Amino acid sequence: MMEKQQYITLLSKSLGDRLTVHDAVAPNEVHMSLREQSLSTLPETCSLLIKSFKAQFTTLVGNDERSLNGSFSLYYVFSVPADDIFLILQVPVDPRHMEVPSISQNLASANWFEREVKDWFGIIAFPNIYKLAAHPDWPEDQHPMWKDFDPQAVVPRVKGTFEFKEVEGEGVFEIPVGPVHAGIIEPGHFRFSVAGEPIINLDVQLFYTHKGTEKIAEGLSPHRAVFLAERVSGDSSFGHALAFCHSMERLSGCDIPQRAIVIRTMLLELERLYNHIGDIGAILLDVGFSVGAATAFELKERFMQLNETLTGSRLLRGLAALGGVRRDPEATSLQRQALREMIVQGKRAFEDLVNLVMASSSVLDRLETTGTLSHTDAYRLGITGIAGRASGIDRDFRRDHPHGAYPHLRFRVVTHKEGDVFARMNVRIGEVRESLAMLEQLQHQHLGEQTLTSVVTIPPLRHALGYVEGWRGEIVHWVMTDNAGQLYRWKITDPSFHNWRALKVAVRNNIVPDFPVINKSFNLSYSGNDR
Amino acid sequence: MNNVFGVIVISSFQLLLVLASAPLISGIIKKTKARFQRRRGASVVQPYFDLAKLLRKEVVVSPVASWLFRITPYLVFASTLVIALLVPTVVTPVPLHWIGDIITVIYLFALGRFFVALVGLDTGSAFGGLGSSREMSVASIIEPAMMLAIFTAAVTAGSTNLSIIVARLSSTPVAMLNPAHLLAFSGLFIVTIAETGRVPVDNPATHLELTMIHEAMILEYSGRYLALIEWASQMKLVVFLALLSNMFFPVGIATTWSPWALLVGSAAFFCKIIVLAVIVAVVESTNAKLRLFRVPEFLMVAFILSFLALILFFIIGA
Repeated sequence: MMEKQQYITLLSKSLGDRLTVHDAVAPNEVHMSLREQSLSTLPETCSLLIKSFKAQFTTLVGNDERSLNGSFSLYYVFSVPADDIFLILQVPVDPRHMEVPSISQNLASANWFEREVKDWFGIIAFPNIYKLAAHPDWPEDQHPMWKDFDPQAVVPRVKGTFEFKEVEGEGVFEIPVGPVHAGIIEPGHFRFSVAGEPIINLDVQLFYTHKGTEKIAEGLSPHRAVFLAERVSGDSSFGHALAFCHSMERLSGCDIPQRAIVIRTMLLELERLYNHIGDIGAILLDVGFSVGAATAFELKERFMQLNETLTGSRLLRGLAALGGVRRDPEATSLQRQALREMIVQGKRAFEDLVNLVMASSSVLDRLETTGTLSHTDAYRLGITGIAGRASGIDRDFRRDHPHGAYPHLRFRVVTHKEGDVFARMNVRIGEVRESLAMLEQLQHQHLGEQTLTSVVTIPPLRHALGYVEGWRGEIVHWVMTDNAGQLYRWKITDPSFHNWRALKVAVRNNIVPDFPVINKSFNLSYSGNDR
Repeated sequence: MNNVFGVIVISSFQLLLVLASAPLISGIIKKTKARFQRRRGASVVQPYFDLAKLLRKEVVVSPVASWLFRITPYLVFASTLVIALLVPTVVTPVPLHWIGDIITVIYLFALGRFFVALVGLDTGSAFGGLGSSREMSVASIIEPAMMLAIFTAAVTAGSTNLSIIVARLSSTPVAMLNPAHLLAFSGLFIVTIAETGRVPVDNPATHLELTMIHEAMILEYSGRYLALIEWASQMKLVVFLALLSNMFFPVGIATTWSPWALLVGSAAFFCKIIVLAVIVAVVESTNAKLRLFRVPEFLMVAFILSFLALILFFIIGA
């Protein structure tokens, strides 16, 4: 176990010639700045960090700092799970040469991040120059995340068509699906190349639900931004709001009341529960096992009703606040009883559901070996959360970067090796059991009445990470304040942004009618990905 | 009453019976499935309202669709009606039994399928083609299994005429317990599931275009065209249930045209097909849909059951 100070000493000693190391406000962050003349060493430096500390690429943040220091900046964020440390490497980008070397040659997981930075900032990570977030009709010279870009302005569109990878050969067909789908799902365009039923290639075009969340947050007061965070991705309302709160609280260094920490952890697990159970139901529905699906959906509904009883919101909205939570969900005896009963009944009903599924050989036949994502691919692409853990990637921010009440809870990180749809369902099943056990443990922790403290001292021009392990995976927010302590730049990383690329790999060589269930087993957020 | 007038009356009666009861049977299946899912479910007469609504609604046709698209619903509906005239439901022999035997029935189904598969390709939608290709590959395995099952019954009765098969069997009830007979029944039951697009072969309730077989081909239909196609599918199910119940267990079927016999025959018919419909719903509720490439294996079971039935028949005789 290495402490933060040791990291600082070690890094400035060994890499001092190319970068400067500074301490950060947040307790487990090490900030570094790459010297301008060492820009060409960027890919090598990143690889070095990853190799020497077993670090994981977490996110990449672009920032327009021209009004502060005359240049743009990129922040490469790495997590070191072994020591609960985040390494943040700042790279200055000269506005006259909007180019940095790409790190995704060695680090495939950074690929989409670099492309998004190019679309929103015009900073090219050479040679990774392909468009991602901006659609082809978006003009190349418009950079929405520049501070002088007016979000209200109407941008004249240019001519452009989506370019998909064309597969040629006898009997190869393309099937276009979406962007509007049957059922209540968000928009995304899928282009399958098939030879008969087997899928040879899948191209995905997303970002139809880009809402400019990060842009409209500029200059917003942190207290109001909590509401915006709740709307990043509906199914992770609380997760995103909490991740944002964490970042602000880490900047201000305030102490959160113990009771609030317990409540936050409880709500995070409640969010995990209803989503996991709903996903299990959706997987069963997609293989045509309607009885199992109906059973799961009924149980999900009961958990959502519990959410409403406890918080007044089925999606757990309106509870998160800087400095704690707005209300105590266990304020009345009625609420305490509802929670206690649901833990017991939920556990029983859930085990019934699991037995029903495991007893159905026709269901297992559909799930096993379907949509396999190998450990190698999952590692290479930096797949996080349930999808990663189902492919044997033993990562969980609840254990690796403990937050909330998790350091005081006993729980197991559920992993499976197979990487197929069944493994992803089994990870969910295991996590539901762990969540219920955690809720039980949290029941006995009554640590005072205070649930909210005021967060007033937010230092200007500082940045910090805020993160939680949401139900889908790691949710990471990077926030920088302006002179007045309002938001200067807010980068939201939803686990879906990491994981969408896994889908493409997992469906290869599967047959077309299995695509819906493979897609559902990842259940990625369009909204969280597109923001 | 054995005259032209009688033929017209009894044939119309049989036609109306199938036409009118088809939505009800599909409603019963839906209701049973809903109950299994612990839902209250729509009323069993909901399919009537659905058809009425569709018949009133306007038709939207893709600009690239050809005349095939417009005639197919009528063709499918009409061919199913003809089948309904040939298959004994409440009375045997059916008055018009001489116009065609079991082979006619099989090929009338094939005719409808052929046109629906063409229409799947006709509209230029990617899903239609997907459905057509799947339907044709599944059909190529369904047909031999279906023929084998039906021929077992035909060999037993010494005729391919459905009415004669049913009449022979109802006069010798012991033959119903013949193991060959029971095996052939199981074979035809699997064929029924596949042919009418039910779980585990196809899922009539899904919204996922990529997984559909039958629904994918008719995805572009709307309004009265869709009503006709849906109604024809519902009648197809009734016809198959009639085949299953009367070709193998012709208990209670009327052999004369007297009103009393017809009444008893109708009651027996409805009891039998409702029981079968509930069994179909149970199968649908307790199974997940098969992986597409497992469907041939499932249908091979039907084929082998029917094949065994045929062998058994020759070994132990009728």
